[in-house]
Formats: sequence, C-alpha cells, structure tokens
Amino acid sequence: MNRITECLIVAASWFCGIVLAGSIFCILGYLFFKGAAAVSLSLIFGKTNPIDAILLRKQVFNGIFPAIAGTFSLVVLSVALAVPAGLASGIYLAEYASDRIKKILSLFFDILAGIPSIVIGLFGFSLAVFLHKNYSDRIYPCLLISGISLAFLVLPYIIRTTQVALESLPKETRLTALALGATKLQNIFYVLIPQSLSGIVSGVILAVGRCAEDTAVIMLTGVVASAGIPKSLFSHYEALPFYIFYISSQYADTQELLNGYGASIILLFLCAFLFLIAFAIQKRLCYQMLYRA
Amino acid sequence: MENKAIKITADSLYFYYQRQPVLENISTQFAEHCITAIVGPSGTGKSTFLTTLNRLWESIPGAKMEGKVEIRFEGQFRDIYHKSFCVNRLRRLVGMVFQIPNPLPMSIFKNIAFPLKLAGYKDKQVIAEKAEQALKRAYLWEEVKDRLEQDALALSGGQQQRLCIARSLVLEPEVLLLDEPTSSLDAKAGQVIEELLLGLKERCTIVMVSHYMDQVRRIADTVIELPAIRKQKQL
Repeated sequence: MNRITECLIVAASWFCGIVLAGSIFCILGYLFFKGAAAVSLSLIFGKTNPIDAILLRKQVFNGIFPAIAGTFSLVVLSVALAVPAGLASGIYLAEYASDRIKKILSLFFDILAGIPSIVIGLFGFSLAVFLHKNYSDRIYPCLLISGISLAFLVLPYIIRTTQVALESLPKETRLTALALGATKLQNIFYVLIPQSLSGIVSGVILAVGRCAEDTAVIMLTGVVASAGIPKSLFSHYEALPFYIFYISSQYADTQELLNGYGASIILLFLCAFLFLIAFAIQKRLCYQMLYRA
Repeated sequence: MENKAIKITADSLYFYYQRQPVLENISTQFAEHCITAIVGPSGTGKSTFLTTLNRLWESIPGAKMEGKVEIRFEGQFRDIYHKSFCVNRLRRLVGMVFQIPNPLPMSIFKNIAFPLKLAGYKDKQVIAEKAEQALKRAYLWEEVKDRLEQDALALSGGQQQRLCIARSLVLEPEVLLLDEPTSSLDAKAGQVIEELLLGLKERCTIVMVSHYMDQVRRIADTVIELPAIRKQKQL
C-alpha cells in the first residue's frame, strides 16, 4: 500500500512537472512560431535609422522603440521606488518588529498583495486627479504616477521575500557575528543580508516581471498609444504590454497582428535582460559583501 | 585552584527558556588561567550557562535570566549586566566558540579579520599582523598561510574549528568560552584542539562544556557539574 502511494506521488509530481514545462514550451513556441518573422529592425525602429533613434537624434514613428523605452523606464522607476521601501520593511519585520506588530503589519501587506491591479490603477488615477486639482494643473497621469502605482503593486512581494529570506537563516548564523562583538546593525548588514541575498533578489525579479507585464495599472495612469520616447517623469509614455493589448484588440490587418506577436517576443527579451541585470547586481553585491562569488 | 585568582563569579543564576526553568540557583566561580570544564548529563543547561557569561542569550527569543555575573577586567570585578557595560565590548573580551564550526562564507583571511572589521580596525598592516598571530596561536598558520584567500568552507572540520578559535582569539579576549568544541570532530582533530587549549591557558581563562570525561581528565584543571533540574532537554 505504502509503496503504491509513493509511486503514485512520484508519478503525479512528474506529470505536473511535465505539464508545467510543456505549457511554457508551448506558449514560447507558439509565440516564436507566429512572431519570429515579424521581429526585425523595422518593427522596432520603423523607417528611422536605428543609431539615430537610440541616440535620440530622430523620432521613431512606425516602430515600437518608444514603447520599449517607455516600459524600460517604467520598470526601472517603479523598482527603484519599491526596492528601498520593500527592503527596509522586510528587514524591520524580520529583525525588529515584535510579534504583535508583525501580525498586524503582515495582515496589511497581505491585503495590499491581494488588491487587484485595476484598483491600484484607480488609486493612481485618483492620486493624479487629486494632485492636479490641489497642487498644480500641470500634473496629469504620467510616467511618475504609473511608477508610484506599480511600486505599490510590487511592494508586498519584495517585503515578503526579504522577510522570509532573513527569517529562514538558521539560529547559529544569527549568533555567529553577535558572539564576535557585532552590533545588531552590523550583524544585519555584514552577515544576515549577504547570506539571504539570493532570496531577496528573487523578490526583486518577481517585481521586475510584474512591472513589465502589468497593463491595468498603466492604462489608467498615463500610458497612451502614441507619445514617442518619454520626455520627462511628467509626460505621457508608450509601453509594450499596452501596445500588445492595443494591437490585439484593434488590429487592421494580419501584418499588424503579427507585429503584436513580435512585440511580445521583444517584451520577453526585455524582461530577460532585466533579470540578467538583477542577477549581475546580486553577484556583484555578494562579492562585495562576502568577498566571494 | 586555591592559589589562583578568581576571574569570573556567577551568583544565584536562574535561567528560563519560554518559562521553563533551565538553570536554578547556580553560584560558582572560575579561576584565572585555568581550564574549567562544565559537565553533566545533556539538558542541564551547560550551553545555556555559557551564554550567560557573554550575554549571548539576550539574542535568543523567549529566554530570561536572573542573577549576577561578575568578571574581573583590569583588576576590578565588573557586573557584566550593568547598564554601563557595553555588550559588544563584553563579547570582544569574552570570546565564544560553538559546537559546530561556524566560519562565515568568505575567505580564510576575511574570517579572521572579521571581528577586527566589526571593532573598527582600519589599518591593513595591523589587521594582517593580528590575523597571523591569531592563526599561529590556533596552530593553523602553517596549514593555511599559502591559501589565505581561499574559501574557509573548503577547510576540514578540524581546521574550521581552529579557524573559529583563531577568529575568537584575534581580539585577544580574556575569557574564552567553548561549547563542546571537539564533539563534531574526529579523535585526531580533537586532540590538536586539546593541545591548543592547553597552550592558551597562559593568555585566557577557559570555560569549556564537554561530554567526554576522558577529555576533561586530560585537560581540565577544575570540573563543575551542573545539577540536573529537568527531566527532558529543552534547548
């Protein structure tokens, strides 16, 4: 009986693993099958010379370069806003908060994690309206508002992964530096954070993915179909997920739909590129903090 | 023991872990430049007792202590739980080595230099000298002098434990606490550590928890047995 159960569990685990890997393979395969032909320099840069476009000497009209630039700046902005706050909250929860405060704050962060992104979008929109009415009529939905809203969206992931990574360190590791005369802060920065860096970075990567793909939030807070390269934090911008959504809902001919597939592939690569940057930063930090790779 | 000065006195110590008593009314003294072994069946709070001498228990959630511990520094007995006594300074004066070797995941040299970094040493020359001295005192210098930049976790268990002893010695503590330092090592590696401890007696007062009676007979000057107050192990 026991042996049969064990075999069944192994078989079920294998099955689930294969289904998961298979579906990823199918989705990626489908995307590349449909879109690979559309990926070309002209998809990105239209008729503009790529070098001129990258150096911002000429505007790109018929390509998705502005959307790539928009998504890139959006991700960088919101992650830059969310990471410091998320790290600090995670460290506070894991190392300083009393059990009572931890319970209360955890409840709040769980609620924040459960808020649908469209509601966060509405929050961003209301924020923009509020600022517009009360402070300056030059403020309207823009890159900065989107960045702030997305930062709220991904904050819970970063807080949770930081907290869990720190809390799962063994007791012996916590006591090592303290027994050598480290203060609490020295212990956190010299031992605990370096040792839990891979966990923390996985949270940041989740956040990067979420910021890059989210459409609901940015639709309400400043993304538009055509704006060119974002000129400042207070301007409208284009974004890849919105471009994909826009094309797939109102394409005029097959070529345009294929462009949507092409843009999806580009979005995937953009995410992969951002993940690589996150890993490189982790490696570098790990090396600096622990003096080894 | 009679002709040696007293270094540490513990007076009516009570210790609770999550409201369970671990130590009850322990009063004892430790002589300077001696190896004192703490023995007793497991679960009598021997390791816990060590943590009351460097206040490390304060970082363990659910722990509570009553009583008084005084250690003689610069000729004067000081209450280590007094507000004016900085806990980080105390832990630099009272080093501790754990049962399982716990080098940090960095190079051998960085491990040795770590306590100096914590204490705010900046001069590379001084750090290198102190590291070499500590490694020599821990009988490890000859084995690692050519590979100081290598990962400390690549060392053998016995070498790792000697590295941890060296790391505790680098700040020249006056008291060294050891929690069953040889129990995770083979007989030969354990023997090296025993010899090394005998050599360290001149510099430090050593308090060691040990399970091995033959080890205690070999190296300890004094033996203290903690009375059993509980039936089952708590910590």
